Amino acid sequence: MATILESTLHELSAIQRRAVEWEDGSLLVLAGPGSGKTRVLTCRVAQLLDRSPDERFRVLALTFTNKAAHEMSSRVTTLTPGLEERADIQTFHGFCAQVLRQHGVHLGIRPDFAIYSRRTDCQAVLEDALGRDRPHLPGEDRRLLPRINALKARLVGTDDAEQWMANRSGVSRQDAGRVARAYRLYEDELRRANALDYNSLIFEAYKLFGFPAMARHYQTVYRHWLIDEFQDTNGAQYELLRRMAGQGYRQVFAVADDDQTIYEWNGASVRRISTLVKDFDCEVVQLPTNYRCPPRIVEAANRLVVYNVRRDKSKQLAEPAQQSHSIEDRQIRCRMFATDQDEVAGIASEIASQDIADRRHTVVLARTRALLESMRQALEEESVPATILTRRDDFVSPQMRWLVACLKQINRPLDRRNMVTLVETFSSFSPMSLDVDDLMARSAAEGVTFLSVWADMAQSADLSSPATEIVASISGLTAGEMKPASAIKQILGHLRSDEFDEDLKDDLSAWQRLSSEIRTAIGRASLDRFLQELELRSKEPVPAPGAVSLATIHGAKGLEFDIVYVIGLVEEILPSWHSVKKGDGSAALEEERRGCFVAITRTKQRLILSWARQYRGWGKQPSRFLGEMGFTNDDSRGALRGAHSR
Amino acid sequence: MRITRLEISNFRSIRHMAIDLSDTTVFVGPNNAGKTAILDALRIALTRRWGQRGTGFSEYDIHLPDDTADPKTSSGVSIELRSDESELGEWPDPVAEDLGDIIQIDLATGRRTIALRTRCAWSEDTGAFEPIWEFLDAKRDPLAGRSARRVNLERFWRYLPVFYLGALRDVSDEFSPRSSQFWRRLLRALEIPSELESRALRVLDLLNRRLLKADPRLEVIANTLSGATRIAARDREGGLAMRMVPLKSWDLLSRAEIILRNEPDLPWLPLRRQGQGIQSLSVIFLFQAFVDHLLRELYETGSKPLLALEEPETHLHPQAVRTLWRHVSGLPGQKIVTTHSPFFVQHVPFRDLRLVRLTPNGTEVRSLPASYSASIPALDGLDRIVAGSGEFLTYESASETLTVRGALDKSTYRALLACCGRDGRRTEVEQRLRDLRQRSSLYIDDGELQALDTHARRIRGEIFFAERWLIVEGQTDYLLVHAIAHALDYDLDQHSVSVIDAQNNGDPATFAALARALDVPWLAVFDGDDAGKGMKRAIANRGFSDEELKERCQTHAAGDLEAQLVADGLEPELRDVLVASGIPDASQLAGDSLADRLRKNKTAYAAELAARVRQDADMARRAPQAFRTAIEQLRGLV
Repeated sequence: MATILESTLHELSAIQRRAVEWEDGSLLVLAGPGSGKTRVLTCRVAQLLDRSPDERFRVLALTFTNKAAHEMSSRVTTLTPGLEERADIQTFHGFCAQVLRQHGVHLGIRPDFAIYSRRTDCQAVLEDALGRDRPHLPGEDRRLLPRINALKARLVGTDDAEQWMANRSGVSRQDAGRVARAYRLYEDELRRANALDYNSLIFEAYKLFGFPAMARHYQTVYRHWLIDEFQDTNGAQYELLRRMAGQGYRQVFAVADDDQTIYEWNGASVRRISTLVKDFDCEVVQLPTNYRCPPRIVEAANRLVVYNVRRDKSKQLAEPAQQSHSIEDRQIRCRMFATDQDEVAGIASEIASQDIADRRHTVVLARTRALLESMRQALEEESVPATILTRRDDFVSPQMRWLVACLKQINRPLDRRNMVTLVETFSSFSPMSLDVDDLMARSAAEGVTFLSVWADMAQSADLSSPATEIVASISGLTAGEMKPASAIKQILGHLRSDEFDEDLKDDLSAWQRLSSEIRTAIGRASLDRFLQELELRSKEPVPAPGAVSLATIHGAKGLEFDIVYVIGLVEEILPSWHSVKKGDGSAALEEERRGCFVAITRTKQRLILSWARQYRGWGKQPSRFLGEMGFTNDDSRGALRGAHSR
Repeated sequence: MRITRLEISNFRSIRHMAIDLSDTTVFVGPNNAGKTAILDALRIALTRRWGQRGTGFSEYDIHLPDDTADPKTSSGVSIELRSDESELGEWPDPVAEDLGDIIQIDLATGRRTIALRTRCAWSEDTGAFEPIWEFLDAKRDPLAGRSARRVNLERFWRYLPVFYLGALRDVSDEFSPRSSQFWRRLLRALEIPSELESRALRVLDLLNRRLLKADPRLEVIANTLSGATRIAARDREGGLAMRMVPLKSWDLLSRAEIILRNEPDLPWLPLRRQGQGIQSLSVIFLFQAFVDHLLRELYETGSKPLLALEEPETHLHPQAVRTLWRHVSGLPGQKIVTTHSPFFVQHVPFRDLRLVRLTPNGTEVRSLPASYSASIPALDGLDRIVAGSGEFLTYESASETLTVRGALDKSTYRALLACCGRDGRRTEVEQRLRDLRQRSSLYIDDGELQALDTHARRIRGEIFFAERWLIVEGQTDYLLVHAIAHALDYDLDQHSVSVIDAQNNGDPATFAALARALDVPWLAVFDGDDAGKGMKRAIANRGFSDEELKERCQTHAAGDLEAQLVADGLEPELRDVLVASGIPDASQLAGDSLADRLRKNKTAYAAELAARVRQDADMARRAPQAFRTAIEQLRGLV
């Protein structure tokens, strides 16, 4: 009997199979939407492991999101049970954190470092850093965080920062010096707190791979590297890869679609794909067949994307694999409305009239978050449940933010910054007057931790349920009568009693998903390790069953739905105002066009495009992308119709 | 892959010790000094011994400073071991791949390292002594995350399987098909082609039946015995048969035994009928056979066995023991050996020897290392000094370890001190550098050890078993000082004093330096002539203080030994000795001419004189003062 892997391999197309079984040297797989790239990646990982049951090397697969990593891991486990241990599938940031935990000591990083993923945390670090240096600092120094981040994202170290900036036009010596100084203080402060921000994870790992022996070690251990969504790799991530590969490593397997590059604003670049091909001597395999979208949509996407003049001309256009199983006209529809309000109301009522079973396979996509918010309201009025899919860097309820702060405090008892968060979040769901300075003074005087003092003070405060019970659990924890795991369990139990707090419900659902994800990824984790993982992952809740999904175009990357609505297809929204200003041939506009391409190619069955003549009272023109996709303006009815020409 | 360093704290008789291990490391020391504790510490760290109920760790394993100490309040046992790549790429790729999560990298040399710490302390939570295994990063802090997963430990163990051959190697255990760690597995691994197997079984079955028919009484016996099955019978009828030969292939194989004969005319005898020496030796070779044929199959490609071998010399003739070193050091994998045999030690390279001793501070180990290390922070300018030193100094920045290969000379030492300039920890760092210089001053270079190897092979076995050394010039002094000491009721052999006649064994200064490095208490007695004074000067040049020199080195006031004997008023006895040695005209000699004649007949008179002094305490009390002082000092010397 064929194994699961064998039968899965058997189902692959000849070209997919060629990629999966690629033997020697680096390979770039240009994979259009719906071409089965995830399947190719997972089959390749599984197949590499399956072919070498007696070997010990590992396979490294780097993904763009934790969700993708999680999904890929579980598929690999299904395909090659027992061998999955040798597959290391995670995000760039997760991988760097792992490298730094094991080898960070060379850079003075202790393995239990904290990860600061939130802007507010980093801002607080900067302010502490500046305050330590000078009590009366000019306010504008506080606003330097974006510039510091930009330096780090370009892998410019503190020693080189001033010179680097001075070499760029429009930066004065004095200004460069000021930023460089703030940068150095910020880095010192991070190190003092044994913390790393997101950029540090990449940058510090990059520094480690500057030692050839370190790079060699990773080349040996990971004989094959796979990179998902390569088109969205930014400069720092790519340089990291290059350093890790040293001079001779040529076993990179990258999957990319330059037509789906939508992260140029974050340092991704369509040109990076050709750099990769050159640097790693990649052979190129194209997967043009689109197994996801109906023929009409494939056609519209092809028409759209050729308008991008920067596009690699050698790249094949997509071919539909589906037979038209739905009536041609039903594959794409376009709706026109008078105003934005009419648009969301109209779409909402259309969704409401759909079969309820279809709702969880339906998504509404928009260029901006604001449009999604009004879409959600409109759906609410139609009593259609909806969830906005978005990355959440933090929990939204004060209760869960407080709980996380407690766990961090246990891990790092001297963290003052976190203690302030702990006090503030608690008082916002359970009013209690408490002076933080007072608390810290008491802690110093009594020689006990901040958290113990806090638990003490909270116990004597006049609290109501469930705060009283929650505080009791923390007291048990600080007194050492309880382990963190059981305290968490108790506290979550108390928090679940509140049925009406939507934010809390979201967070509890997210917590449940995250703790099970983390358990799958790393098993039973120590507290510091758990917190590191938690910090790296998005805290969005599990979508409610039967809810319609709402997503920005960026948030929809890598997803697919039976029924897709793309709303707000007008000039200055999609494409954005900013890109319209830059002009039609601009890189910014091309990125918008790719955004539209990504949006429509999420569709498995039906695509509904919509636009309105007015948004927030401003008159708008239909998006040029509608025309490019082949819709012509029918003046008499004010609506757009599918073109008939082929 | 092998263990390169072992650090043990609070384990049995060991308070703290750190030792380097080579391919074959030989531990020498008196009974109860702690040799077995060292082997056991290694085995515990590399096996599951602490994890298992019943066989595990007990409170007696925790080192206690005194009788009243409570093991539950001790900070607990710590056993830390390191495995370093001896050269770039020593570890095969599969090893590096499999152990990727726990490998650390020396960024300066690119060499890979794994460090494992095993701890065991009383846990209030569980009410037991709880063992913990943790891999360490380059700074010796525990690794976290993936690296801390238990699976890494299991894997690491598979690459370093430990085998233990105790001093009491019993052939009937080691060649038992049921309990032996090697023999059983070797037999089990045998692959008999199925065709041959079934044919053999058919033949045996036939044989069995014929044997049973050979004597009719057998059938009667079988019938009688089958009564048992009838009494215990249930519904269905049982049966009973007799088996004269093995009828299953494992029964057959498990009866395999070794027979041998030493000479062609002697009868073949099973191993357990052989002499103890052959039995003991055969177990060692059994280990080799096991490693050669089965290790790869049972463990991993790249697994290297670690053999803890106690007293390989057991029951063997000295001549056999002498050749044993070559066999033992040639065994596959890493060997940790303990021995009580000077004949074995004779051939062990100096740097591979470890002297184990029980001191008021617990078990301590001395050796002759090729380098010395100290923990020194990354001082400004340190890199420059290291870079300018050639290979003499190396610095590992993650663990902040400065290593010096040889004795730290004054100018390098000064340059290092100058680096401490403005550093906040100045006093502490200076102290460490001072200590490093002090320790490294004990360094003995390869050339000198090689010379010692050439000249002192005869005595180098035994001196490592002595507790004190007395360095004298020649054979005459050797004989005489033994006799005097015996007569004065301080027998040198009995008190474990090794008398080293330096002239026949190379350079006396080397022995003094060796004694200092190995922490062996020593004294020296030389002639008062130019040669003797030269020896004393040579010792002084090894960096001994005047004070120490005065305390340890005696010289004969009257010149050489013969002059001193004459000056000590032993003329009549000396004349008698010469006459008795077959030199009749000596009876007329006196003064310088007597001394001259003695010098010409050194061997003859020395033996005779020594024999007389040995019997005559009165005469011994008139023997040269320098000898008597030394003997007196030896009594309390530690």
